[in-house]
Amino acid sequence: MRKPLLHIVILEASRVICEGLMAILYQSDLDCRILRVESLEDLSEMLESTAIDILIANPLQFVNREKEVRRIRKNHPSLSVAGIDYGIIQKQSMLADISFTLYDTPEHILQCLTKLDNKSRKENKQKGEDDNLTKREIEVLTGLVNGLMNKEIADSLHISIHTVVRHRKNITMKTGIRSQSGLTIYAISKKIVAIEDLEI
Amino acid sequence: MVHASKIKVKSYMKMADLIDANPNLLLMLQHFNIDFRVSDQTVMQLCTGYSISENLFVGIANLYNGLGPKAHPLFTRDDLVRVIEFLKQSHDYYRSDKYPQISSYIRQLQENHSAKELKLLEKFFNDYFAEVLEHLDYEDNIAFPYFIHLLKEKKSDSFRRELYSSIEYGEHHTDIELKLKDLKQLLLKYVKIENDLDLRRRLFFALYELEFDLYIHSLIEETILIPAGVSIEQEQDA
Repeated sequence: MRKPLLHIVILEASRVICEGLMAILYQSDLDCRILRVESLEDLSEMLESTAIDILIANPLQFVNREKEVRRIRKNHPSLSVAGIDYGIIQKQSMLADISFTLYDTPEHILQCLTKLDNKSRKENKQKGEDDNLTKREIEVLTGLVNGLMNKEIADSLHISIHTVVRHRKNITMKTGIRSQSGLTIYAISKKIVAIEDLEI
Repeated sequence: MVHASKIKVKSYMKMADLIDANPNLLLMLQHFNIDFRVSDQTVMQLCTGYSISENLFVGIANLYNGLGPKAHPLFTRDDLVRVIEFLKQSHDYYRSDKYPQISSYIRQLQENHSAKELKLLEKFFNDYFAEVLEHLDYEDNIAFPYFIHLLKEKKSDSFRRELYSSIEYGEHHTDIELKLKDLKQLLLKYVKIENDLDLRRRLFFALYELEFDLYIHSLIEETILIPAGVSIEQEQDA
């Protein structure tokens, strides 16, 4: 059985390093897809639309932007970060879960990433072990299947749009379903909404 | 269906043995327009007979066998034209074989059972299928002609470059695979259907078959076609 595809993003300005890492990863047994971003902004933007498992980053990109990095990590708790250790920044301030140097063997680097992958899978599994939604999530889901926009859901529940988005992410994580029409069928199967109540 | 034999394909290997080890390779042959009666031919002989470069054939066969793509696959322009033909053939497979098959199973399921979710499931699938068709048409009519033009032009040419680029093609990728996953999740975990196991198994097998080929399809696009397009564009811009 193939493990689910691993989505990796590399945030590193050097093309030589980036392509070297890609070569190692693609030639390994890891089933992965690798994307490259040039800046923290591009990364945030990408994370809004794409689920990323591992970020491999040059921690120099984080310097003086710790706040932004922390915010990204908070909004995307399932993202693991591997820092490339250039010996310039102290490990504890790299804001990474794990680090490796460019002089490590490919095997060692792969091992690091696999460890990271297993860890995040375990955490996700604990969180998403069952699809029991919280009361709030059910309310958000109900709004969603009734075709409300995020803003309308936020207003009706007196919460921020940001919170609605977070609930939506959790719903998807727990149910494994991303599309709105898929969630509608889920909600009916789970008797969260009655089919008669929907305009189809 | 997402069974991969992990045999690293070499040009001296017999095609029939490779198919035995991983029947998914039949799909690849079909996309290359190669007949299934491969006799005793080796990969090398087969490639010569069909004028396909061994390098390309082996590269794609290895993807079907579950070995990750090479980081820097080197393909000639002729190879890349062949890649596009390959992708077009697989579009035909989705359009006129796999999706209609799945659609007919879901239709039958819906007729056999009264659960209202199944009506919604059918609608979900039909909407999804329409989206897929739109995406395939887009690739056939806009993206592929662009790439073919790019590959066949020898000297710098700004043909439609201001309208289009390889990167844009990459960005246009839709959530085809995601909705397919949703469908599988719904059937595996949530929608209750009594019995009818034969039909449901056929449906699952068809979904897994489709998922596997779509996965290879996007790997080919992302690791072969797009990087090649980008580097030709850079050459031209230089």
